[in-house]
Amino acid sequence: MAEQQQISLSILKKRWLKFKTLKRGYYSFILLVILYGLSWFLPLLINNRALVVSYEGELSFPIVSGYHAGTEFGQDVPGEAIYRELKQSWKQGGSDNWLIMPLYPYSPYEDITVQGNKMYDPPSRTHWLGTDNTGRDVFSRLCYAFNISISFALVLTTLNYILGVLIGGSMGYLGGKFDLFFQRIIEIWSSLPMLFVIIIISSIIRPSFFLLIFIYTIVNWIGMTYLMRAEFYREKSKDYVAAALSMGQTNFKVMFKHILPNALVPIITYFPFSIIGGISALVGLDYLGFGMPPPTPSWGQLLEVGLQNISKAWMVFAPVGALFVTLLMVMFIAEAVREAFDPKVYSRLR
Amino acid sequence: MTTYFIRRILLMVPTFLGSTILIFIILQMAPGGPLERTIQQLQAGAMQQGEAVGSVGDIMSGGSSVLPESAMRELKRFYGFDKPVYQRYLIWLGIWPREIKHREVEFNPGETELNKNIGRGQYMTLRLEGESVVVLDEKGEVSKIWKAAIDKEGSKENQILTTLFQTEFSGILTGNLGTSYTYDQPVTEVMAPRFKVSIFFGLTGMLLTYLVCIPLGIRKALNHGSAFDFLSSVTIFIAYSIPGWALGGVLLVLLGGGSYWDIFPLGGFRSPTDIWETMTFLEQVKDQLWHAILPIIAWSIGSFAGLTVLMKNSLLENISQDYIRTAFAKGLQEKRVVWVHAIRNSVIPIASGIGGIIGVVIAGSYLIEKVFNIDGFGKMGFQAILDRDYPITLGFLVIVVVIRLVANILSDIALATVDPRIRFR
Repeated sequence: MAEQQQISLSILKKRWLKFKTLKRGYYSFILLVILYGLSWFLPLLINNRALVVSYEGELSFPIVSGYHAGTEFGQDVPGEAIYRELKQSWKQGGSDNWLIMPLYPYSPYEDITVQGNKMYDPPSRTHWLGTDNTGRDVFSRLCYAFNISISFALVLTTLNYILGVLIGGSMGYLGGKFDLFFQRIIEIWSSLPMLFVIIIISSIIRPSFFLLIFIYTIVNWIGMTYLMRAEFYREKSKDYVAAALSMGQTNFKVMFKHILPNALVPIITYFPFSIIGGISALVGLDYLGFGMPPPTPSWGQLLEVGLQNISKAWMVFAPVGALFVTLLMVMFIAEAVREAFDPKVYSRLR
Repeated sequence: MTTYFIRRILLMVPTFLGSTILIFIILQMAPGGPLERTIQQLQAGAMQQGEAVGSVGDIMSGGSSVLPESAMRELKRFYGFDKPVYQRYLIWLGIWPREIKHREVEFNPGETELNKNIGRGQYMTLRLEGESVVVLDEKGEVSKIWKAAIDKEGSKENQILTTLFQTEFSGILTGNLGTSYTYDQPVTEVMAPRFKVSIFFGLTGMLLTYLVCIPLGIRKALNHGSAFDFLSSVTIFIAYSIPGWALGGVLLVLLGGGSYWDIFPLGGFRSPTDIWETMTFLEQVKDQLWHAILPIIAWSIGSFAGLTVLMKNSLLENISQDYIRTAFAKGLQEKRVVWVHAIRNSVIPIASGIGGIIGVVIAGSYLIEKVFNIDGFGKMGFQAILDRDYPITLGFLVIVVVIRLVANILSDIALATVDPRIRFR
């Protein structure tokens, strides 16, 4: 055993071990990963369609098969079956039919106003966080918006990184006219107020999820590009690059196989902050009405409704709370990652 | 050093041109611009017969949903869409003559000379000479003020349409930002009061953050690892994890009298003018503060976290340096070492951040202005986009761009002032 410990660990492994010792960040990371993983199965957990229906001996799975008219299950309603009522009536009637509902039986798009006026229902046992201006369940919308927010930030950050490494890396590595040209473009780009440019573009074309990401990427690639440029510029002059070049490696290989792994520290430590930026930007845009097209569930849209009706406190607290907890977790991760990758030991004499 | 800054200032010019060209093209190419919007409005107005549509309404042939050609021409000319994009941009800049005081003159077949009343009993003579039109004044000389051109789109087969106009150079370079479509006022007049509002919040917020963050950061660094450090770090984490405007919303719900306590007003910059003017000076100060506290908290919270951490880390880093060890070794007192030697080097990164904050002061606050319903600069720009009010949108962006460019240079100057080691070349 003692011999095994002698083997020196790779630097990444050391960092990972260090990260694991930083409990606050490590547990936030695990929790966030689990929550995000779960959020992909939200239709199974939070939905108004039954998972399984057994009607007169026949099984059906509305959650997969989609639309079922109420009359199919002997329910006298126009349009789609209302499974919650179906369940209740079957239970009360003591019939052999049964169905299994998701844990929280309300969909984020479902207008509950059709069953009595449920607009602006304050939080209760049935609607944990109340309902919004069109009678949709706030808790359910909040959860779906979590998935969308994180996905948005992740895709956005990934795209930014790809662009940043490609352009910034080439700028730093190649230098010369290419560098000068892009420097001017970056200078022009960064003098513009970016959120404003997005609003201008969004007010012209109604963006979808990917269009919004695309728009955001074209205005947001600068930060990463600049970081990568500096990193590649510094690494380029190191001996290992000269060695690789003298052995006849191509520029492409030197850039991505040799320099890139050495430029990983800023890439990884910057990641959580980029996620925070993405999430906050989406909330802001949604609040202004230039984010995801309605009726996509989003924190910003909930907040917008809440701030218009200031007496409906849960409409403000719920989205801000969700945003706050999410960002706080990412912040904890960010702090731990930085500590693990770029440890600073401050010594004091007195 | 001076040459460096002169070069920087000169480099502002191409950057400024580049960014304005970019914005201009995005805006001008966009569908659903002011022209389309007005046409739609006019058509909608024409549908509802009997309702007043505004001054342009009477040009329209009553009831029909298609605008007559002359009205279209006039609209295009009003919004400047009768020129190619590059000309529009140059006119907007003020280095291409802008055509003003338009009058349409139609030549019937065979006619080559016409008199046109230009008001105050004065007449101009227009003479067709092949492909061009010459304007003669009453003395029969070629007019220096009035010019004319053939409108090829408006001309029919045998009728030649010409426009008589004056030209002037007026654009952003001459300080003319145009006239707002929605407010019907010069853009600068629309901007001035709103700009003051934003400056008020920006400067107060900035001053407060600096006054709080620098001492707090120093204290945190000197007591690194203490209970005080931990507790204030918690606050900083919270502040960093909640966008200022969202915090503003929560504060409004809590303290604005909606659901809980009714301590602060729901929004606005100050009390409405008619009440404001009846107040004594002291009451005015009180009223202003009463309205400003929540927005300023919301405004400062964002930079609060970043600045404190920056100050703390910077001081911590300096304190572990060799020159501090030397200072201690030669027997200096701790107070002197920290306050004279360490602090001076620690404020360097903060000084360089000054420019960035100035930029944010102006443009970054429209979310807060929207939450608190403050009629500020950012909200004006935002509303202008919604209303397709291009003169205001462009004016807003120009001012933001200029402020940012100047702020960048200011950052460098600040950096060079606090850090004599820095030599810009």
